[in-house]
Amino acid sequence: MRYVAFLFTLLASSVAWSANILIKNVTIHDGINEAYVADVQLQNGEISAIGNDLDLSNSEVVDGTGKYVTPGYFNAYTYMGLVEVSAIGGTRDYESDNEIFTASHRAADAINPDTVVIPYNRALGLTRALVIPVNEKSIFAGQAAVVQMRADQVVLKQDVAQVVHLGQHGKKIAGGSRANALKMFELALQEASDYKANRAAIKRGEYRDLHFSIADLEALDQVVTGKQPVIISVDRAADIERVLDVVSKHKLRAILLGAQESWRVAERLAAMQVPVIMDPINNLPMGYDSLGARLDAPAILEQAGVPMMFFGMGFGAAPHNAAMVKQSAANAVTHGLSPVAALAAITSTPAKVFGLSHGLSKGKKADMVLWDSHPLEAMSLPERVFVNGEEFSLQHRASRLAKRYLEVIRASHSN
Amino acid sequence: MKSILKRTLLSASILALAACNSAGTKPDVPPNEASSLVPFASTYQASQHAPFVIRNVNLLVGNGEQLEQVDVAVTNGVITAVGKNLATSGLSIDGSGKWMTPGLIDVHSHMGVYSQPETRNHADGNEMTNPVTAEVWAEHSVWPGDPAFEKARAGGVTTVQILPGSANLFGGRSVTLKNVHSVTVQGMKFPEAPYGLKMACGENPKRVYGGKGQLPSTRMGNVAGYRKAWIDAQEYREKWNEYEEKKASGKEAKAPKRDLKLETLVGVLDGEILIQNHCYRADEMAQMIDIGKEFGYKIQAFHHAVEAYKIAPLLAEEGVCAVMWADWWGFKQEAYDMVRENISLVDYAKGCAVIHSDDPIQIQRLNQEVAKALAAGQAMGINLDKADAIKWLTLNAAKAIGLEDKIGSVEVGKNADLVLWDKDPFSSFASPEQVWIDGAAVYQRGADNITADFNIGIITPEENRP
Repeated sequence: MRYVAFLFTLLASSVAWSANILIKNVTIHDGINEAYVADVQLQNGEISAIGNDLDLSNSEVVDGTGKYVTPGYFNAYTYMGLVEVSAIGGTRDYESDNEIFTASHRAADAINPDTVVIPYNRALGLTRALVIPVNEKSIFAGQAAVVQMRADQVVLKQDVAQVVHLGQHGKKIAGGSRANALKMFELALQEASDYKANRAAIKRGEYRDLHFSIADLEALDQVVTGKQPVIISVDRAADIERVLDVVSKHKLRAILLGAQESWRVAERLAAMQVPVIMDPINNLPMGYDSLGARLDAPAILEQAGVPMMFFGMGFGAAPHNAAMVKQSAANAVTHGLSPVAALAAITSTPAKVFGLSHGLSKGKKADMVLWDSHPLEAMSLPERVFVNGEEFSLQHRASRLAKRYLEVIRASHSN
Repeated sequence: MKSILKRTLLSASILALAACNSAGTKPDVPPNEASSLVPFASTYQASQHAPFVIRNVNLLVGNGEQLEQVDVAVTNGVITAVGKNLATSGLSIDGSGKWMTPGLIDVHSHMGVYSQPETRNHADGNEMTNPVTAEVWAEHSVWPGDPAFEKARAGGVTTVQILPGSANLFGGRSVTLKNVHSVTVQGMKFPEAPYGLKMACGENPKRVYGGKGQLPSTRMGNVAGYRKAWIDAQEYREKWNEYEEKKASGKEAKAPKRDLKLETLVGVLDGEILIQNHCYRADEMAQMIDIGKEFGYKIQAFHHAVEAYKIAPLLAEEGVCAVMWADWWGFKQEAYDMVRENISLVDYAKGCAVIHSDDPIQIQRLNQEVAKALAAGQAMGINLDKADAIKWLTLNAAKAIGLEDKIGSVEVGKNADLVLWDKDPFSSFASPEQVWIDGAAVYQRGADNITADFNIGIITPEENRP
C-alpha cells in the first residue's frame, strides 16, 4: 500500500508518463469518420486497438460513457513558442526585419519550449500548432515548423513549408502595389532556378547581381522543385486568382493563409486542391481586402471540396489562446459546416498536409484528448491529454494561480 | 447642493419642451442658459409593436433564477407578465424547446469609435494628445454606420456602453446606446442612461505619454495625474458653489467660465457620472479605490480586471463591479496572470462579476464567453449554474452601467429587451432566432434584417455584404 502511494506520488510529480489505458464506450470523433462509439486501448502510449469489447488486463480502465475522444487539436497559424508576452519585444521572435535571411529563416530555431503558453493550451486540448513567422522587410518569412505541446520534444517537424506574405503586407514591401509583390515572388522563384543552374559561377562572382541572398535562394529551391509547400497569405478574391495563376505557372504546392474571400474562388481552389488556412470566425469587413468575410465561408468551401485548416477567434497568430481554434471550428458548424469537416480542419487535414501521424489511429503514438463532453462545445474540457505517446498533467501556471486565490476567498468566507 | 449636471439637465428638459411647442422655431432661451444645457439629447424612440407573448420558453431570468416553460408577455415595450399559461391576448410566439434570456449587455465596446473597416480614418477612440481628456465624449466619435453594430445585434446584444480607449488617465465620457439601426448617434442613445467616465491604470497611459517624454511615464506618474485632476475638479466645484450661493442670497454674481474637462470630473464627484476604470492589476485596483476615497467618489467598475480574483473579497466589500474577459491574456505583462476561473471566483466572493468583449468579434458570441468562464469555475468546484452565470452578461452588466432598474432581467416592468435562442445559449451551436429591444423586433434569423449603409452593393452592385 505504501509502495502504491509512493508510485502515485512519483507519477503525479513527473511531467509525462506512458501507461496502459482502456477507455470503454467512448464517442470517437477522429476527424475522418462520423462519430462512433467504441473502446480505445493504449499500450505504452501507443494506440493498440480501437474496437468493441476490448479487454486489457494490467491496464487502467476508464468509463468513457458520455465522454469523447478526439485527436489533439491543431492550430494552423500561430507564433507558438515565439512569444511570451506580446508587448515585450525581448520575448518576441516571430517578426524579423532582417533582409539577408528571409526565405532561409528557420522559425524552429527560435522556439522557446518552456513558454507557459504550451502547458496552458495543452490543458485545453491543443497538442500541435503550425508556427508561421513574418518578415517586416520581405514577402518571404522563412520556414514554418510544426510544434507539439511538450517542452521535451517541442519541434515535431521543422521546415514544413515556406511562408510568403502577400496581400497588404506584400503591397507595402513591394513599394505600394500588390502587382509588384507578385512580380517579386516570381523574381525570387526565377533567381532560385538561375542559382541552381549557375551555382559555381555565382559563387565565384561571375554572374549578374541577384536580388536575393544565396541563403534565401537555396531555401527557395525546395519550393521551386515542389518538395516543399508554400504558404501564401492573401485575402482578396482577385488576389487569390492572381496567386493561383502564379501557382499554376510554376507548378507550386500552395496553401493559402487568411483567405477570407476564398469562398468566392472555391471552385478553382477545389479543382487545384489548394488547401486554405483560415479563421472561420471572421465576418467583419476589417479591411478592404476582406469585405467578403462571412461566417458560412467554411460551409461554402466544404461544398466545393476545398481542404481546410483553422486558426481561432480573431486572434491571428497570437499563441496564448491558440486552443480557441476549437471555438472557431464550433462556430463554423453553427453556420453550416459539417461536424466531421470541422474536426478534420483541426486534426486530420493538417496532419495529412504536413505529413504527420494521425494521433488517433492504430499503431500510432497517441496524440489525443479525452473530453468530458462534446469536443466542440464551449463548456467541454479535457480530462486526459496525450501528446505524442505520453500523457501530461493538466496543470499550468494559471491553474495554480487560480487555486492559490480560491483558498484566499474561502478564508474570507469563513471570517 | 444642486449639482452642475442636475442644473443643466433641468434646463435641457425646459428646452426640449420649448422645442416641442414651437416646432421648427428656435426657443427663446437666453444665451447664458443655453450654454449650460446638456446637449446631444437622445432622440431614440422605441418602434411601435403589437402586444405579444412568448410561450413555453426556458427562461434564464438574468437575476440568478431559471424558470422552465413559462410565458413572457410584452406590451408597449415593457414586460407585463412572466408566468405559466398567461391568459394574455395578442400575438403568440411558440418558445417550446427554446431558451430566452434578457437582451445581452456589453459594458465595454468600441463599436463606432473604432469602426469597421479598421482603417486609420476610423480610429476615433483615443484622444492621445493629453493624459487628461475628460472633456471628450465618445458619442462625438461614434459612427452609427459601423457595420459591427448589426453583427452584435445578431448575437443578442441589445445595449452597449461605448468607451473611449485607454491611452489616457482620463479618456473621456462613455455613452450607452441601444443597439438599434440609426443614422444619428442621438437616435441610439439610451434615454436617461448615466454617463460614464473612462479612466485607465497601468501600462497604456505610461507608455503613450512616457514615449513622448511627459508625465506620466510611470505608474506613480499615473497616480499623480489622477490626483492633480481631482484637485482641480474640487476647486472648480468650489467656484461654482460660491457662485450659486451668492446668486441664491441675491448678490451680484458672475458665473465662472465653463470647463468641459472639469465639468465631467465634477459630475463624478457629485455621483452622477460613473467611473469605468480600465485596470488589470490587483494592486492598482486597490490604489484606485483609495484615490476614490481620498476625493469622495465611488468607482463603478474595473474593466479588463484580469487580476480581480486576487482581490475579489475587497471588490465585493467595496461594491465595485469587476468587468472581465473569459480568457484573454498574454498580450502584455499586466495581462499575464489571467486565470480562466476569474469571473467565477469574483462571483464566488459575492462580488459583481461582469463579462465584456472589448472586441467586435467576441461581442457576437458573449454567450459562449460566459459558457467558457462557467465551465472553468465549475471545474474547480465552484457551485455555480447557468442561471447564475447569465447574470454576468445581463443584470450585473446593467448594474455596472447604472441601468439595473430598466434592463438586465426578464421581470415585470422592465424594458422588453429579449433574446429567443434556438437552443441552450451555453452551447456553441446555439444562436439567437429573434431579438427585441423595447418590444420591437430588431433581428430575426434568416430574415432580411436592416443592414448598414456600408454593406449596400459593396461587393456586387445587386447584393448586400453578407
